[in-house]
Amino acid sequence: MNRRKFIKNGLLASSTAFMPAFVRASGIFSEGNEGEKRVVLIQLAGGNDGLNTIVPYRNELYYKNRPEIGIKKTDIIRITDELGFNKNLAPLKKLYDNGYLSVINNVGYPNPNRSHFRSTDIWQTAADSNKYFDSGWIGRYIEEKGGKPWTGIELDDSLSLIMKGKAVNGIAAKNPAVLFRNSQTPYFKKTLEYYEDDETGNQNLDYLYKIMIEAESSAKYIYQTSRIFKSKLDYPKNPFGRQLRTTAEFINSGLKTRVYFISMGGFDTHTNQVVRQNRLLGLYAGAMEVFVADLKQSNTFDDTLIITFSEFGRRVKQNAAKGTDHGTANNVFITGGNLKVKGFYNEPPDLTNLDKNGDLIHTVDFRSIYSTVLKEWLQTDDKVVLKNSFERLKFI
Amino acid sequence: MDTKEIRHLYLRAGFGIGYDEMTNLASKTRKELVDSLFSASATFTPLEVDLSEFDEYFNAKPGELKSMYNNKELQELKKKSREKVKELNYAWIERLAAGNEVLREKMTLFWANLFVCKDNNIRHIQQYNNTLRSYALGNFGEFIKAVAKEPSMSKYLNNKQNVKESPNENFARELMELFTLGIGNYTEQDIKESARAFTGWSFRKDGSFFLRRKQHDYGEKTFMGKTGNFDGDDIIDIILEQKQCARFICTKIYKYFVNPVINSDHTEELASLFYKDYDINKLMYHIFTSEWFYDKKNIGVKIKSPVELLTGIRMTVPVSFEKKRQLLYLQKMMGQTLLEPPNVAGWKGDKNWIDSNTLMFRLKLPSLILNDGNIDMAEKGEPQDSFEDYYKINRKKPMFFKTSVGWDNFEKEYAKPTPAELQEHLVVTELNKGTRAFLSGLKTVNIREHIVQLMSLPEYQLC
Repeated sequence: MNRRKFIKNGLLASSTAFMPAFVRASGIFSEGNEGEKRVVLIQLAGGNDGLNTIVPYRNELYYKNRPEIGIKKTDIIRITDELGFNKNLAPLKKLYDNGYLSVINNVGYPNPNRSHFRSTDIWQTAADSNKYFDSGWIGRYIEEKGGKPWTGIELDDSLSLIMKGKAVNGIAAKNPAVLFRNSQTPYFKKTLEYYEDDETGNQNLDYLYKIMIEAESSAKYIYQTSRIFKSKLDYPKNPFGRQLRTTAEFINSGLKTRVYFISMGGFDTHTNQVVRQNRLLGLYAGAMEVFVADLKQSNTFDDTLIITFSEFGRRVKQNAAKGTDHGTANNVFITGGNLKVKGFYNEPPDLTNLDKNGDLIHTVDFRSIYSTVLKEWLQTDDKVVLKNSFERLKFI
Repeated sequence: MDTKEIRHLYLRAGFGIGYDEMTNLASKTRKELVDSLFSASATFTPLEVDLSEFDEYFNAKPGELKSMYNNKELQELKKKSREKVKELNYAWIERLAAGNEVLREKMTLFWANLFVCKDNNIRHIQQYNNTLRSYALGNFGEFIKAVAKEPSMSKYLNNKQNVKESPNENFARELMELFTLGIGNYTEQDIKESARAFTGWSFRKDGSFFLRRKQHDYGEKTFMGKTGNFDGDDIIDIILEQKQCARFICTKIYKYFVNPVINSDHTEELASLFYKDYDINKLMYHIFTSEWFYDKKNIGVKIKSPVELLTGIRMTVPVSFEKKRQLLYLQKMMGQTLLEPPNVAGWKGDKNWIDSNTLMFRLKLPSLILNDGNIDMAEKGEPQDSFEDYYKINRKKPMFFKTSVGWDNFEKEYAKPTPAELQEHLVVTELNKGTRAFLSGLKTVNIREHIVQLMSLPEYQLC
């Protein structure tokens, strides 16, 4: 890429930064952003215990298997005759009542793997459990779309596999100002200013310069676009709250990013589960409440789909340390303003039909959720991105 | 030998070469140089951390453990073991920077990414690491047979659970798919039959191998067209008889040591040589003495792995890390943490090291560790972390790098070359035209600044 092309692209990418916010918000100036939908993926890292999140409070087996850690009926917000929310999810109940929440139960995949790393890779790459893909499904989505790195943003300082494509990757931007500053260090900037496409025939060197150019323009685009919009809402003061706040600012400032990925940690509750998980669920729900309100305020909620998942659920039977060990199938939350199926999408977990480890058996393959999102929401060829065909669901 | 070629040899067979050493070697012939490179690695020095606090545990007889330790104590030992694995990581990184037996160390790195393994049991993983090191330049067949018997490998690929009554195919599958033949060169039936041959292969806590006779399937197996009462070693022998095995290994070696883009004439040449006796030493010697190895199109075309990048900087300017934990931070931010491979396929390498974020970090690395930089980026949390640990809530921001830089020693050696010579020495890739103009226009105040500038170029990312 020669300098002229680079400058041109750089300017185009950040043209919206020079537009007054009110003009953008009014929709007078169409950037082709309208109607283009986006997804926010939230991974509850560590393996969130689904059974203590969406509690089968009428099921005797639940309490029988969890004498010390079963959530008491008085600590549950009853939703249906069979299932209730852990009371720390109270803010989610409001979303539920507004029809903004769909809970898909028993999501997993065949031959489940109970290692954090392996199962996270499986969820992030959409591979079968006996295959190893070296690219993530969002990375492949970005590639399929022919997008720039900022098409997919991870709210962290480094990229997870989910955002890595074969030759194109998303970009990690936890703090756009920091990212921008790091891309403006003297040698980085100067080297790019002087760079000339001289076709040395050194493939890898050309590749490095290409990535540098993209990194610099991505960092600039993200920073200059998002700095104009500052959220006015009161997010909980914790790292997850900050991740959501930054995401809201990205979305509401008009960034053309299609997918955001956030990883919230702490869910590996092998010991003392109840206290620890209750707190985490409260942090999650509290931040989500503000996030949704923020998007609604800026009229971006209807075009945003939020998917919350975990790399696995946990064992039905509690362990000796008032916690649970790694399990399998789990629930997935879909949050959005345009859901076709609201509330509980499918049947509750079947505690009578467990696998030989005493773990839940999935009835929905998580890739069905992905293929639905890719095809119906992001309007992309799901078969290419997922490298396979999966039955779609009807929640959007 | 030409200085350009000396640098190329040492960057690929090692992690680079100092200016003084290179000047001294310039008068030697290629054969003399390669000979000395190999003789320096003829010895084997194990990599070890102090494990004395685990002696009782590892030497306990089966069944004794329950009476010796309660549950809480066992959890403590496991935690300590994980800390020791980190210590082994630091020891390994430091050893690379020390520059002894470089060829052996480079080969060990290569094999660690082929016979991928991960284990939190420090005694076993240390033993595994040294098995890689001791066989790194040895006989490939003996090497594979040793790896297959290692406790860490047995656990990692579930061969521990592979018993006569219910064979577990994982190890047999990865052995053929990832370690020796590559996908498509064996059948599912081959996997089933060979899994039977590896049944009952077990290990004691102290790391030694033994066969659980009752769990071993002594029956007749048919594998790759041959029939017999094969055991694991026999299976490996049959695999070695397939030329594809030699080809598979030589292709991997070519990509790592010569060029990420294959030249099939060369890989076939290597495969034919390797197939004769599977002698790794002979193979590597052949590569480093081949004319084509020094071909211009192979020089400066490989993207350094994070570990190669970090070690290369340290070989030029001595840097010691006061807080060893920061070595871990650097590896994590760049995407390669030794002893923590992402999965059994290992690190893909080359372009895969690079994304917008890792590239910016890598370009910043020299100023970070040589200029007492501070950094406001955090490495990712671990899945088993608490919320606080995951987000490093209790860490001071930004992180200040605590390094001691041996500038005096550096200046003594590097005062001699001119700026142009220094540039040629550090950056083996042909500079981009514009970058060259940029460098020539720079007013460098002193050599320290200049070296950081050179190492901050994209061209320095290649070797």
